[in-house]
Amino acid sequence: MRTNRLGAALAVALTVTCMSGALVSCGSDEPAESPEAAPATAAPQGPAKLTYWTWAPNMDKIVKVWNDANPDIQVTVSKQAGGDDAAAKYLTAAKAGNPPDLVQAEYQHLPSFIAADAVADLKTETAPIKGEFSEGLWNLVTLGTDAVYGIPQDSGPMMLFYRKDLFDKHGIEVPETWQEYAEAARTVRKKDPKAYLGTFSSKDPGAFTGLAQQAGAQWWSISGESWKVDVADEPTRKVADYWGGLVKEDAIDDVPYFTPEWNKALNDGRLLTWPSAVWAPGVLSSNAPKAKGKWAVAPLPQWNAGENFSGFWGGSSTAVSARTPHKAAAAKFATWLNTDPKAIDLLVKEAAIYPATTKAQSALGEAPEYFSNQPDFWQQAAAVSAGARGFTFGPNVGVTYNAFKDGFDKALQDGTPFSAAVQAMQDATVADMRKSGFQIAS
Amino acid sequence: MAGVTAATAHRRRAHGASASRPWGVAPTALLLLGAIYCLFPVFWVLIAATKSPGELFSTSTLSFGTGFFDNVAELFAYRDGVFWLWAANTLIYAGGGALLSTAVSAVSGYALAKYRFPGRNAIFNLLIGGILVPAVVLAIPQYLLFSEIGLADSHWAVLLPQILHPYGIYLARVYAAAAIPDSLLEAGRIDGAGEWHLMSRVALPLMVPGMVTIFLFQFVAIWNNFLLPFIMLGDDGKFPLTVGLYTLLAAGANQPALYNLILTGALLSIVPLIALFLTMQRYWKTDLSSGAVK
Amino acid sequence: MKRSARGAWPYLFLTPAIVLFTLFLAVPIAYTVYLAMRRTRVSGLGLGKGARREVFVGFDNFAAALADAELWQGWLRVLGYGALVLGVMLGLALLFALLLDSARVRLARFSRIAIFLPYAVPGVAATLLWGFLYLPSLSPIRAVLDVDYLGATTVTYSMANVAVWGGVGFNMLVLYTALRAIPRDLYEAARLDGASEVQIALRVKIPMLTPAIVLTTVFSIIATIQVFTEPTALRPLTNTISSTWSPLMKVYRDAFVTGDLYSAAATSIVIAAISLVLSFGFLRVVRDRAFREG
Repeated sequence: MRTNRLGAALAVALTVTCMSGALVSCGSDEPAESPEAAPATAAPQGPAKLTYWTWAPNMDKIVKVWNDANPDIQVTVSKQAGGDDAAAKYLTAAKAGNPPDLVQAEYQHLPSFIAADAVADLKTETAPIKGEFSEGLWNLVTLGTDAVYGIPQDSGPMMLFYRKDLFDKHGIEVPETWQEYAEAARTVRKKDPKAYLGTFSSKDPGAFTGLAQQAGAQWWSISGESWKVDVADEPTRKVADYWGGLVKEDAIDDVPYFTPEWNKALNDGRLLTWPSAVWAPGVLSSNAPKAKGKWAVAPLPQWNAGENFSGFWGGSSTAVSARTPHKAAAAKFATWLNTDPKAIDLLVKEAAIYPATTKAQSALGEAPEYFSNQPDFWQQAAAVSAGARGFTFGPNVGVTYNAFKDGFDKALQDGTPFSAAVQAMQDATVADMRKSGFQIAS
Repeated sequence: MAGVTAATAHRRRAHGASASRPWGVAPTALLLLGAIYCLFPVFWVLIAATKSPGELFSTSTLSFGTGFFDNVAELFAYRDGVFWLWAANTLIYAGGGALLSTAVSAVSGYALAKYRFPGRNAIFNLLIGGILVPAVVLAIPQYLLFSEIGLADSHWAVLLPQILHPYGIYLARVYAAAAIPDSLLEAGRIDGAGEWHLMSRVALPLMVPGMVTIFLFQFVAIWNNFLLPFIMLGDDGKFPLTVGLYTLLAAGANQPALYNLILTGALLSIVPLIALFLTMQRYWKTDLSSGAVK
Repeated sequence: MKRSARGAWPYLFLTPAIVLFTLFLAVPIAYTVYLAMRRTRVSGLGLGKGARREVFVGFDNFAAALADAELWQGWLRVLGYGALVLGVMLGLALLFALLLDSARVRLARFSRIAIFLPYAVPGVAATLLWGFLYLPSLSPIRAVLDVDYLGATTVTYSMANVAVWGGVGFNMLVLYTALRAIPRDLYEAARLDGASEVQIALRVKIPMLTPAIVLTTVFSIIATIQVFTEPTALRPLTNTISSTWSPLMKVYRDAFVTGDLYSAAATSIVIAAISLVLSFGFLRVVRDRAFREG
């Protein structure tokens, strides 16, 4: 008898919700339908007040410098959690119709912002500064189209970080090719069975993407009115099988980066290298402060001797919301933040970023404190940066990266080939794009 | 025989918990085992919070570090003391939310337990049925709705959705049914007391121990809620501790997580809950039946 | 009971709860149903204005959710995990509540706080700190019992342990408060009849507690179906947990990682429906005792 009541209650609930559902849905479902309406509002009186979502440390200090000098454009920083969550949160806010005026956008997430019509085209506003960035970085904010969806802020060319002291101890040369890296990995296992030369992380698609870029991968590209998706291209499969083979023969470890376990291994000197990006000193100094002065940096090993290629891991841009009523003011601030020498200087010092403008990259002087034993740190970085190649990101990187984690987790767990995981990434990406109706060239 | 047992029982009651029996140590031992199981990881956080960033991953997990006060000082100084702002926000959300939640639950539970009216079970089942829908699912629609009425990114957006809690209403109904004798209400009615008076002056005071439980549960639930404030709030000045500390953990791909601050912050954010629990627990001493006339 | 005399009062008392329910549960749920029947369609590259629009797709998303093999495997995993958590957690909660109530344990107040304390630790924090304890190179418990706590088979037990640790105190308090509401005279009468404490617990207390036990079970079943925090927070530490380990993880992945709010809405309605069926099923089994009031 009670159960019947519960059933009846559910029926009532459904009826009520459907009725009110009709009301709600009319009001709130498609804020995206009137994106033109927002910027059309009358030019605001008084100072433009802008909100800025970012996760870079000490950004409030940098913005204060701007606010003091520009009473008519006042920016308020709201520090957010970084990474994929930040992107999801911004997309939700944009869908609901109240995004911040400015947002820090990682390069790989920018296309999904664009696809959701959540960021403004800054083509005219950024015309004068286009030349300050390398073509590769600029492509990341235009996707190779005519529009400009953000201003590059920082970049993450990849380099090889290694324990110089332990390399010396075991008599290992700094590997210049990936073949030498593999040999060195086997040597380390022989000399110290507890240590590894490196680890393959199934949790960091960004790192794998950078390594694939170095090998020449082009996961997405735009041709005419359709996308070309080739996540499982030949360079990517080569990179995957290389690491898969090393893991399988236990020449390198499979502990994911940034975990407590990994931190501990860094501290104990059980990990001798980290193929990472230019921002690595910050992470190392925080997680393994005692190893200061023991690490050194070199270019990534190459696939063919004599080459000088690298890829990107991380990096972000400053984008302007499509709905802001202060687009010009926001663009003005974003331009200042990412191209003004004083602002860049603050970004480097306070937010510990590697700046995106070519001029600023070569102007960096003193090496990070953790690498004070390597005074040419920034020169090395600039040299690597020149040879770093990226690619256009697609509109559903979230799907691809998620497939990376699931696929490589499974490959490590079951001991299956890494190239199968890469194929799973390709299949998931294409299936998702087809489901949404994207035009895909075969 | 029966008389002897009764006498022993009586004496035992008089002496409270001090009496011992054949296997009288076993219950205490069992409970203590449970307590150790529950305390051990908290103890570990306590130890971890004393470690400086350098010690966290290099020294033995169960030895105290030397950095506790540095960690605390660093946490309080972080971004000009934003930790205190987050703590104050959390207090507003949890305190205000739990108070309102307790009031709504108690009044609803009382009505559901002590009145017979058409639709009683339907309303009860409907309210309880709310728990079937995962909070993860509700957060986005709630956010879109609050945006629609212009209240997203405000304190209200976090406070209001957390007032109604099905579990609270269920508990209140059970407590009201157990603690308020119908005879007392009938007597009040015969004396000419109004329904409002009966509820506020007779029923609610009898429900206080139950309400304390509901308050505590809601307070803790809101204090620890993450997803709703994470979605609702854009302004970091309105963040509660959970979301604030999360910005330290997920500091971005190229920034290290500030583990020492997170652990210290996590530890400090448990302290008020322990204090609350200690204050609240004296209310349980009055057992419910002593207040009621049977 | 004369209904006419009290008229609208119970409805008046229930108004706040009903209003809150409508605004913050019913309307968002309705919106979820609405979303579940829609999907975005893009044309061409999907970039720029007007390239993306929402279309009505009827029950396509539901069909996809029901046909998703990953989702059904998730249900199987959660079933095993849930059986483990429910049995151990509620068993311990009942045991501890009875021990606390038996008036003859020492250190009762200390144990009560200690066992409840984990409830004050946010789920994410709890999982992270157990994660630290599970990891080979950091774990102090590994010295006692050396197994891979995050292996393919052990990981379920490790997650269940986190859930039990966090939930046992809460359920213990619910049961304990219900125990305190039982009139003491009943025990006195049983003692006069020569019943031992264990017999009183089994023959008097547990039957009187049945409604509370049933409801904590139902609420725990629902919470277990919605398991999300433990696997999500452990996932970065091990390669044995996929992004669709539990059904709710798939909802979260769709909504927040891959940006498919519509599939997430459909899946979450399927989850709510299955929760309803399971809690229903359970209530049917114990129907005679459920919702019975003292």
